[in-house]
Amino acid sequence: MNELGLVARFVHLAASILTVGSAAFLIIAGHSDRATARRWQAQVQRLMRALVVMALAAGVVALAQQAASLEQRPRAAVEPAALWRVAVETHAGAVWIVRQSLLLLLGGFIFARADVSRRVDWRAARAYGLLLAGAALALLGAAGHAAAVEPGTAAAVAADMFHVLAAGVWAGALPALTLLLASAWSEAGADARPYAVVAARRFSRTAVALMVALAFSGTLVAVSQIGSIPALVGTRYGRLLLLKLALLVPIAGLAALNRRLLPQLSGEAGRVGRPAMRRLGACVAVEAIVAVAILGVVAVMGVTAPARHEQPVWPFTFRLAWESLAYAPESRPFVLVGSQVAVLGVAAAIASRLLRRRARPALLGGGAVLVVAGLAMALPPLATDAYPTTYQRPAVPYQAGSIATGAMTYREHCAACHGAGGAGNGPAAAALSPPPSDLRAHHAALHTAGDLFWWITHGRRQMPAFGERLDVEARWDLVNFIRALAAGDTARELTPLVQPERPLVVAPDFAFAVGPTPPRTLKDYRGRRSVLVVLYTLPASRARLSALAARYDVLVPLGVEIIAVPTDAAPDAIKQLGAEPRVLFPVVTDGAAEIVAAYGLLARAPHAEFLVDRQGYLRAIDTRSRDTDTLVANVEALNRERVVVAPPAEHVH
Amino acid sequence: MAVWRVVVLLVLTLAVGVGWGYLWWGREATRLTRELAEARAAAGPREYHAEGVIRAVLPEMNIVVITHDEITGYMPAMTMGFRAVSPKIYETVDVGDAVRFTLRGTPPNLALVAVEKVTSQ
Repeated sequence: MNELGLVARFVHLAASILTVGSAAFLIIAGHSDRATARRWQAQVQRLMRALVVMALAAGVVALAQQAASLEQRPRAAVEPAALWRVAVETHAGAVWIVRQSLLLLLGGFIFARADVSRRVDWRAARAYGLLLAGAALALLGAAGHAAAVEPGTAAAVAADMFHVLAAGVWAGALPALTLLLASAWSEAGADARPYAVVAARRFSRTAVALMVALAFSGTLVAVSQIGSIPALVGTRYGRLLLLKLALLVPIAGLAALNRRLLPQLSGEAGRVGRPAMRRLGACVAVEAIVAVAILGVVAVMGVTAPARHEQPVWPFTFRLAWESLAYAPESRPFVLVGSQVAVLGVAAAIASRLLRRRARPALLGGGAVLVVAGLAMALPPLATDAYPTTYQRPAVPYQAGSIATGAMTYREHCAACHGAGGAGNGPAAAALSPPPSDLRAHHAALHTAGDLFWWITHGRRQMPAFGERLDVEARWDLVNFIRALAAGDTARELTPLVQPERPLVVAPDFAFAVGPTPPRTLKDYRGRRSVLVVLYTLPASRARLSALAARYDVLVPLGVEIIAVPTDAAPDAIKQLGAEPRVLFPVVTDGAAEIVAAYGLLARAPHAEFLVDRQGYLRAIDTRSRDTDTLVANVEALNRERVVVAPPAEHVH
Repeated sequence: MAVWRVVVLLVLTLAVGVGWGYLWWGREATRLTRELAEARAAAGPREYHAEGVIRAVLPEMNIVVITHDEITGYMPAMTMGFRAVSPKIYETVDVGDAVRFTLRGTPPNLALVAVEKVTSQ
C-alpha cells in the first residue's frame, strides 16, 4: 500500500511538472503558422491532455492511500466517508481539493479544443493553461514538508513553491523540446527548423535563469529542512538530497554540451544544422530521463521525515572543529598558512579566466594544486575523533529532573574513578593509567553530548561500556549531569553583578508546581520575564525572603519573577513560611528536590540566588550579599541589553 | 465567442469568486464572535470552581490571595486576590492551605462564596 502511494505521488508529481513545463515551453517557443510547428503544438497539447488525466488519477490514488494510512486500515482507501474525511478535515486535504479543482479546470479547458488560430486567442489560451497548471503545481508546496516548518511557515512555503515552479518550467519543458527537435530534424520538418532553433535558444537562456533560481530556492529549502552538515550526511532525507545533487551533475554536463551545440544549429539548414539538431535532441532526451529520475528521488523525499526531525548518524570517524586548536596551539600556524595557500589557489583559478585560452590550463592546474596543498595543511589539525552519535541530540532535555537522576547514576557507577566532583580523582583513580578523565568544563568544550553518550555506551580506554547496564534514558541523564558539572565549573566566573552581554551558562530548565496548580517550567518564562531562582533554607533565609516580598510589587513591573525553592523540599513550604512575611511569588511545593540537586552543582550554599535572563541564560549568582538594590540594578541592566545570542536549544550540544 | 474573452471571463469569475468567499467568511467570523460574546454576557450570574493554595488572608482589605488552577471559562492559573462575600471565610483558612473554592457572580464581578480545605497536604 505504501509503495502504491509512493508510485502515485511520483506519477502525480511528474505529470504536474511535465504539464507546467509543456505549457511554459509552448509560450517560450511562441506562435507559428508553419505546418510542422502546428503539428508539434497539437502533439504537445495531446501530451498535456494525457498528463492532466494522469495527474488527476494519481492524485485520487494518493488521497486514497493517505486515507488508508491515516485511519490505519487498507479498506479506508475505498470508503467514500473516509476519503471525505481526509479531504475535508486535514490541511493537506484542503490543498488537495484546490489542486485537483485547478487540474480539472485545466483538463476541461484543454479538452475543449478551442480554435486558437488567431494570435490573441492563442496567447490567451496558452497563458491561461500555464496559469492553471502553475497554480496547481505551486500549491504542492503548501501541503508538503514546508507547511510544517515553524516559525517562518510562510517563507518556507514560498521558497518551496518557487522551487517546484522553477523545476516545473525547466524539467517539464525538456520532453516538449525533444519532440520539437525530433520533428524539425526530420526531412519533412525543414519548414519548422528556424522556429526550433529560436525556441531552443530562448529555452537555453531561460534555463540558465531557472537554474540560478533553483539553486537559490533549493538552498533555502535545504536550510529549513536539513539545516546542518551532520543532518545532510547522517539522515535518510539528507542522503536523498545528496543523491538528487549527484543526479544533477550529469545534467549540468549535458547542459554545458548543449550550449556548445547551440551555435551549430544555425548553420545552413540541411547539412550543418540537422546533425547538430539530432545530437541536441538526443542530449535533451537523456536530460529529460535524468530529470524524471530526480523527480523519483523527490517523491521519496516527500514521504521521508525531514532531516531536522531525525537523529543524524555521523558516518565518519572524524570531524572538523575549531575547538581542536585550543588543545593544540602549536598547529595554529599550519592552519593559518594552509588556509591562505588555499585562498591563493582559488584566486589563481579565478584569475585564469582572464588569461588567453591557451594559457588557462596551466594557471588553473596550479590553482588546483595550491587548493589541495593548502587544505592538506590546514585541515588535519582541525580534525578530532567523532562517532556515529556525535551529532545526536539528547533524547532527554537538559532539565533539573534529568540532572538529578543522572547525579544518582553517577554516584553509583562513575564516582569511584572520576571522583565525586568529576575531577578524575576518585578513590579507584590511583590504580589507573592513564588516569580517568576530568569531566569539568575546561575539558568538556571539545566534546559534544553525543560524544559523551558514545563513550558511556561503548566505553573508552579503560572505562567499561555501560550500554548493557544502563538504558538509553539513564545514559542521557548521565550526559546531562556531566554537562551540568561542566556548567558548574564555568558558573564560577559569575558574580552577584550581571556582566553585560556575556551569557555563559545555560540555566537548566525545571518543572515545578505551587500547591495544586498545574506544573509550570522555567522555560515558560522565556522571552517574557527574567527569573530569580531563590534556593532558601529556613530560618536563616527568612529576612531575605521578607526583603524580596516587600519589594515584589517593584520587581514585577521590572519584568522579573521570583521562584522560591526550599532546600529541604518540604511539601508544606508555604505553610512553614507562615503569614509573615507576606510572600506572594511562587514557592515551589513540588519539584524542589530536583531543582536543589541541579542548581546545587552551580553554587553550593544554604541560600543561593540565580538570576536567569529572558533568553534562559544564567547571568548572576549571589550567595552572600543578597541585596535587593543590586537585584534591581541587575534586572535593569538585563532590560537594557539587546538580545545578543539566540535562546539555547532545549538540549545541550 | 473568441477564446481570449472566455479566458478573461474565467479568470474574472475565479478572482471574484475567491474574493467574495474571502470577504463573506470574514464577515461570518466577526458575526459568530459577536454572537458568542453576547450569549456569554446574557447568561447572568455564574458559578466557577477551582483549586488553589492560600497565600495571604487580608480581612482588613476584604481579600484572600490564592494561587489557583485554571478557572475554566474565566481565567488561567495565576496568583490573584478575591473578595469574600462573608467575613466568616477569613476564619476558616490559613496561609499554605490547599483549598477548593467557589466563585459566584457576573464576570468580572466575582466573589468568593465557599472555601473548602483539601486534605492532600
